[in-house]
Amino acid sequence: MINRMVVNNLARRPVRTALSILAVVIEVVLIISVVGLVRGLLDEGARRQQGIGADIVVQPPGASVFMGLSSATMPVKMGDVLGQVPGVTAVTPVYFQSFGGLTLAYGIDLESFRAVSGGFQVLRGRTIQGGYEVMIDDVYAAENKVKVGDTRELWGHDFTVAGIVEHGKGARLFVPLATVQQLSGSQGKASIFYLRVAGPQDLGPALARFKSMLPGYNIRSMEEMTSLMMAGNLPGVKPFERIMIAIAVVIGFLVIFLAMYTTVLERTREIGILKSLGASKGYIVNVILRETVLVALLGIGLGIGASLLLRYVVLHNFRTLAILITPGWLLRASLIAVGGALLGAFYPALRAARQDPIEALAYE
Amino acid sequence: MALHHIIEVESLEKVFHVGRVDVPALRGVDLRVEAGEFLAVIGPSGSGKSTLFHIIGGLTSPTAGRVLVDGVDLASVGDAGRTRLRKEKVGFVFQRFNLLPTLTAQGNIDVARHIAGDFSHYQEAHFQEIVKMLGIERRLHHRPAELSGGEQQRVATARALVNGPAILLADEPTGNLDTENSQAVLEVLRGLNQRLGQTILMITHNPEAAGFAHRTVAMRDGRIVS
Repeated sequence: MINRMVVNNLARRPVRTALSILAVVIEVVLIISVVGLVRGLLDEGARRQQGIGADIVVQPPGASVFMGLSSATMPVKMGDVLGQVPGVTAVTPVYFQSFGGLTLAYGIDLESFRAVSGGFQVLRGRTIQGGYEVMIDDVYAAENKVKVGDTRELWGHDFTVAGIVEHGKGARLFVPLATVQQLSGSQGKASIFYLRVAGPQDLGPALARFKSMLPGYNIRSMEEMTSLMMAGNLPGVKPFERIMIAIAVVIGFLVIFLAMYTTVLERTREIGILKSLGASKGYIVNVILRETVLVALLGIGLGIGASLLLRYVVLHNFRTLAILITPGWLLRASLIAVGGALLGAFYPALRAARQDPIEALAYE
Repeated sequence: MALHHIIEVESLEKVFHVGRVDVPALRGVDLRVEAGEFLAVIGPSGSGKSTLFHIIGGLTSPTAGRVLVDGVDLASVGDAGRTRLRKEKVGFVFQRFNLLPTLTAQGNIDVARHIAGDFSHYQEAHFQEIVKMLGIERRLHHRPAELSGGEQQRVATARALVNGPAILLADEPTGNLDTENSQAVLEVLRGLNQRLGQTILMITHNPEAAGFAHRTVAMRDGRIVS
């Protein structure tokens, strides 16, 4: 009976109900998509680092785990010394340079990079040989509609696309190490060294040796490095997520509050009628909150659908992006939406429950 | 007619506080209504008729005095007690019908039962007889907007009676009806009283309507004057 009344009440004002649902949809989409984008990009970046296949990562003091934020200050010749440590089977220097915002290019020594990573899976064309040549991964190629033989402008110079390789080995673009060193005026320098060890038993001793050789340097296992890049461990990510969630909750709260407040005002007489029939304060609150929960549930369902659709559209058009949507965050977004809606409806519901029945019945 | 008093009012006073002004609506009302009686209350606007009804019906509390409704002392129960009274012992019929617009006639009746819950004294056979007397069997699936004024008032009457209340309070039940529908509704009320023994208190401005009752009391300036 009460559910019938709830549904009829919502259907009576379809525009207001639709706007309330829309507010919840926006709330859910904001939470799922923004959090999903941040976590997706971070986690995807960490996976590409893991894809290099290295066991140890050496960076200069003060370097960020985010490659594009660090400069090249280590001499390449340092790699020869690092390679002498027992257990180390391969070392490769990499010079990374960002361009166009989020896109990172690796300057690599192809031979040593191959020794650490196992080489590239070339899908079209060939590997770089030198000069102004670039290899791009298949994701970047698809998004930017680039094919072998095209030119890409990097750092003010035209680079010819030599080959398209399978994604997943650090960056999306690879240029010769010497070329990027020359262009940036940092000849003989590297941003990072990736190292491979013979077996798991060599990892600990190698790390300890490097730390004693290079005090102050950031020397980490790949596992530790990628763990730091994961969204859950990165300082600032959780506060950012909380701020986005708070903004989303405020949107949902305000719209629901206003909608339910006007609903209660509009239905003053009906509330008086229910009270004259013996409806308690709890009954009145129950009706208002049930309407709110129904609006929230509809908004959540549509919001999840819209988030998935948005993810599909974004990834279809921007393949280098990643939006991570997990069941855990779907549940969190749903609970947050319901909670925010109930919070918004609480005061109007209490107001309705406290109305004097005689005054309510006389309301025009 | 049963001999016990289903309503007992002694020295009832009600004062409304309007800003800084105290407005005495009832100034010491004494009234006794027997079970099964049909009582009409007449009087000009501002005489306190509606306030008397609201107190007896548990919509508001008395300021002073004693009010017993089917054994419940309204002075000693709080808001929860008055709410229970409205579920269990009182049925209201209003001048403006006051049906919920989003529900059908049947829905309006059902909501009264739903609200009463365990306090309802609903009896299927008895209620079906009421519905038949009211002549609304074929109108139950219509919403109020699809019903005439007379039909709406009869649905409101059915809603007021669905839980088997001890008393039916009708506040100007014919105030918004034409002559023909007024007559029909008054006939229904008289029928409910005579055939089913329903105790009815009715407020009215209309002396002809008051003639349908067993007894009439007149109010003026917050007192019963005759």
